[in-house]
Amino acid sequence: MTVPELSGTQAAVLAAYAELIEEVGSDDVSYRVIARRAGIAERTVFRNYPTRVDLLLATAEWIEATLFAREESQSIFDIPLAIREAMERYDARPELAHVVAETAMRGVSGAAPSPGRAQLEQLLDAEVPSLDAAQRRAVIAALSHLDSVGTWVTFRREFGMDRRDIADAAAWAAEAVLDTIRDRVAP
Amino acid sequence: MEESVDTATAILASAAVLLRERMFDDISYRALADEVGISERTIYRQYPTRAHLLAALSNWIEQTSFPLPPFVTVSDFRAAAHERFRAFDALPAYAYVGARASAISPTLDTEPAYITRAIEAMLDVAAPTLNRRDRRRVAASLRYFSSAMFWARLRTGFDLDAGEICDAFDRAVDTVLAKLPSAAATRAEP
Repeated sequence: MTVPELSGTQAAVLAAYAELIEEVGSDDVSYRVIARRAGIAERTVFRNYPTRVDLLLATAEWIEATLFAREESQSIFDIPLAIREAMERYDARPELAHVVAETAMRGVSGAAPSPGRAQLEQLLDAEVPSLDAAQRRAVIAALSHLDSVGTWVTFRREFGMDRRDIADAAAWAAEAVLDTIRDRVAP
Repeated sequence: MEESVDTATAILASAAVLLRERMFDDISYRALADEVGISERTIYRQYPTRAHLLAALSNWIEQTSFPLPPFVTVSDFRAAAHERFRAFDALPAYAYVGARASAISPTLDTEPAYITRAIEAMLDVAAPTLNRRDRRRVAASLRYFSSAMFWARLRTGFDLDAGEICDAFDRAVDTVLAKLPSAAATRAEP
């Protein structure tokens, strides 16, 4: 995942909005307040992000690519480690985690729900090229699903888990997915 | 307060009708008020923020369009999840509302969903001697793979249809259940 190209003004708007979401505990923050926090005119915010949906999606993408960025994995079998760390990052910024989770669940007009898919495919194809199409798809889908903020939201909300338990359970589930391909690495 | 219960339901029913032609974000309180034939203020009283409306609408859709078939065994659980994925595919606009509502910061009641309790009860029977940590890992994984979020991610991010999503779900469930001591008994029937 790459950091989206932003102008200085845009970066200031997104950072200001993310900061306010954490302070207010909601994404319901007016353009006026965001502009004041970013130190620019309200109409400048409108010019860059004509609608609230535009602003929210751009902010979610920015949060995902900066605050929640993953260390790059060298192997598909390292993904559980990346997932563990990602869960800990989400837990430190709960309000922002919810924003990223929700914008990825809006369908085609929302944020991309599996931004790490291409990287997972690249790692899997290099290490375990012998999978058939359905197996490959299932492994990538399951890992993409686990390597997302939805995991943190669901484990916390539905099971009352804390940071440690979420990181453990998410990494455990990813290891379970990898069990099926553990000894199928190309020599 | 019978009247306000009716009003709340009328608002949700109208919102569901509007969802057939536009996204949730494009349903304004004004348009909703016109559709129901009440004042915008009444809607704000029932649903002070859009997050409240989203959560309530998702619950209502869940009950009316996506009732969860009851399950006790693992194979019934699989069948119930498949049925829901197919129902989601038939009404995607409704299913996305459910996926979104399950991702937002909780508004009012934070009770776990019925499916969560049903999965826990299923594991109590399927693996009665399993320790608490592993039981929670298994339950949480099964819950997450059977969610509207899984459907939404695979549909939007992978362009999969309900049949392919059911297949990916079954394979994910297999990997999780293989961790159970009684793994052989819980595999999908061929």
